[in-house]
Parts: sequence; structure tokens; C-alpha cells
Amino acid sequence: MNSRPLTLLMLVGASVASAPPARAHHSQSEFDLRAKIEVDGTVTKLEWKSPHGRLYVDVKNEKGEVESWNFELPSPNTLMRRGWTRDTLKTGDRVKVAGAPARNFPTIAIATSIKDANDKPLFTGTTQIYEPEAEPKGAE
Amino acid sequence: MTRALRSALLAVALGASPAVVLAQWLDYRTPGIPRTESGAPDLKAPAPRTRDGKPDFSGMWFANVPAKDYCKEKDCIQEERMAREQINLGIKLEGGLPYTDWSKEQMTKRRAHGGRDDPHTYCMPPNFPRAWTLPQYIKVIQTPTEMVLLHEFNAAYREIFIDGRALPENPNPTWNGYSSAHWEGDTLVIETNGIRDDMWLDIQGSPVTESARVTERLKRVNFGIMQVEIAVNDPKAYTRPWSVTVEMATQVDTTMLEEICLDDEQDVKLYK
Repeated sequence: MNSRPLTLLMLVGASVASAPPARAHHSQSEFDLRAKIEVDGTVTKLEWKSPHGRLYVDVKNEKGEVESWNFELPSPNTLMRRGWTRDTLKTGDRVKVAGAPARNFPTIAIATSIKDANDKPLFTGTTQIYEPEAEPKGAE
Repeated sequence: MTRALRSALLAVALGASPAVVLAQWLDYRTPGIPRTESGAPDLKAPAPRTRDGKPDFSGMWFANVPAKDYCKEKDCIQEERMAREQINLGIKLEGGLPYTDWSKEQMTKRRAHGGRDDPHTYCMPPNFPRAWTLPQYIKVIQTPTEMVLLHEFNAAYREIFIDGRALPENPNPTWNGYSSAHWEGDTLVIETNGIRDDMWLDIQGSPVTESARVTERLKRVNFGIMQVEIAVNDPKAYTRPWSVTVEMATQVDTTMLEEICLDDEQDVKLYK
């Protein structure tokens, strides 16, 4: 078993070289898609519900306190079509999750990447940004 | 023979791997479709026809977005496919959709609130024509006198009558309006009125209103592809009629999977 300590790495405001997340059926302005957080923690629950699955992960922060993170996933039907089942991750599994944080909630994020303890990728977000255009285009 | 043993023998007889069994019906082979020698679906085969010679649109459909375009990184897991029209239905129109000043005002307000005002955010029904672009499967059930569209989102349905009925006058507005279709050659032409006044066409909040007359032209190009031309004549929301075409890809050897949005909606609270 990997003995590295559980960590939380915040990269808020960093330029995101990898793909921003997108899977929603609506605007994702509730998340800061230009920011990125990465955590290394332990699964406490995989919520298998619509419209979004949710992965709850306990993470030890820099002060040594345990934070419970809530990562938004695609809906179960989309997850199933990508090979997931409700048993893909179980309580106690070690995961490394990257995502974009919610703007107003410190421990909620939308997942862009999930890897297992051996760095095997389990999930990747998509490459589109689901934000409305800055101004509605349209000819009179 | 025990039930478990019977199931195991059945799985072997069907050539099913344990993974397939675990996946329930997710990989169930669709019977009666054209296939190549390798057994793969023959997507280039001619469009199937009904007994009365009309094109048969029956089957499951999803926006035709090539998966490979969305998986460019090393170790990339297959990503979810999305139609770009989901954000902006007029994204392929030069100059975009011809919004009226009223529409622009609505969209400015909607944009200011992020996704909070989008009916889809708080789990309202998948209204057509927006529903063609959403990231769920649509199932077409076709009879000589009616086409039924089933949508995975909220396990919704839409009825399109092909029985010559006229559209209602002064209709009570609904999420999908009232649809009556007729054939023009191999194209099914669907006319719709009676859409609610506060509907969205896409994530950026392009409106469609009670004044709209929507015409959808369905053409099955071949077994694999259906083109849906969406023409909107809505003088309240747009300065002139416009149309866009969304391409749908057939989905075979799989099944519909419900997505009941109200089950665990948690995003609305995040738009603080």
C-alpha cells in the first residue's frame, strides 16, 4: 500500500492546461472552470443517483484535519456507458481526484480526472466548456 | 437445475462474458439490424423502411458527435460526447441566431444568473426541439399514424401524430407543444405550435415562445444517421425565421437508461 500521506493541493487561479470539465445539462458557472484542485484521499461513498453521481472523498488538509470533499460526476447512465458500475469505487478505496472547485463552497468540486492508488485512470472529463457566450451573438 | 446454473448456461450459449452479464442489458445485441461480415452494425446500410414503404426511424438516437474528437490525452478514458448545439443551437449559423431586442434582454438576465434560471437546471422536462441536443438517448417508436419519442431525461415522452390532424387553435401551452406530421417524400415533416412562452432552446438561454411555429424535418440518410432540420418561426424571439440541422447517430446493441433528475439535484444551491 502506498504510504504517502493524504494530501490536498489547491491550484486556484492556475492556468489549466488539461481539459476543463463538462458534462452538465446546463451552465456550469457554479464552478470556477479556470481553477483546479487536486486531492489524494479515501473514498467514503459513491452516490449513484441522477442527475449527477457523486464521489465523497476524505482528504487530510495541511493542518492535518480531515475534509470531506464532494465531487460531481456524470449521471449514472453516462457513467455506465463509460464502463462504470456502482461498485467501481468502494468505501476505503484510495483515489487521486482533480477537478474544478465550486465558487461558493469550499469542499465541493466537479471532477475532471480520477485515478486509483496506482495512477490508473478511471475517469476523464470532457474538453468542452459549457459556458454561455460572453454576449449573445445575433444579427438584427 | 438451479436458476443460477441455468443463467450461467444461458450466458455461455449467448456468448456473453461475465462483464456483459454484469452490465445487465447495456450490451444487449439488437436483433434484426443490418450487420457487416464481422458482425458490427452496418451503419452505411440503406435506411430501413416500414411495411408501407415509409422510412423507419425506429431505434435509439444520440447527437452524432465523434468520440475521438474528445479524447486526445495519453491514458484518456472515453469522454462523454456532447453536441455543441447544446450550448448554442445557432452555433453553426453565420452571425448566430437572429435575436430580437426582447430576446437579447432575456438572455442578458439569464446570463447574469449563470445556470440558475435554466429550467433544465432544476429538472424540468427535456423540451423539444432543445431535447435533440441533450446528452441523453432518445428512442423513436413509429407506427403508421404516430411517432413517439422517449427521452431518458426524466423518462419523458413526446407524441407526434401522423394522422392528418390540424394543429390546435389557441392551444393551452405545454412543454413540447402539439405536433402533427406529414410525409414529403422520404422526409417526415413535423409541425408544432402551443409551446410555452418561457422555454429555452440551449444552455445560453436562446428563447422560444408561445408565438413560435416550429417545423422539424426528419430524414434518415442511411441506417446510421438521421438528420433533423429544426426551423423556428417565432416573431417574438427572432427577427426572421431560421433553421439549423442537427445530425443524430443511431445507437444499437445497448439500451435506454433512465435519468431521473429530481432524484438528487444539488446544483441549484451552488448558484449563490
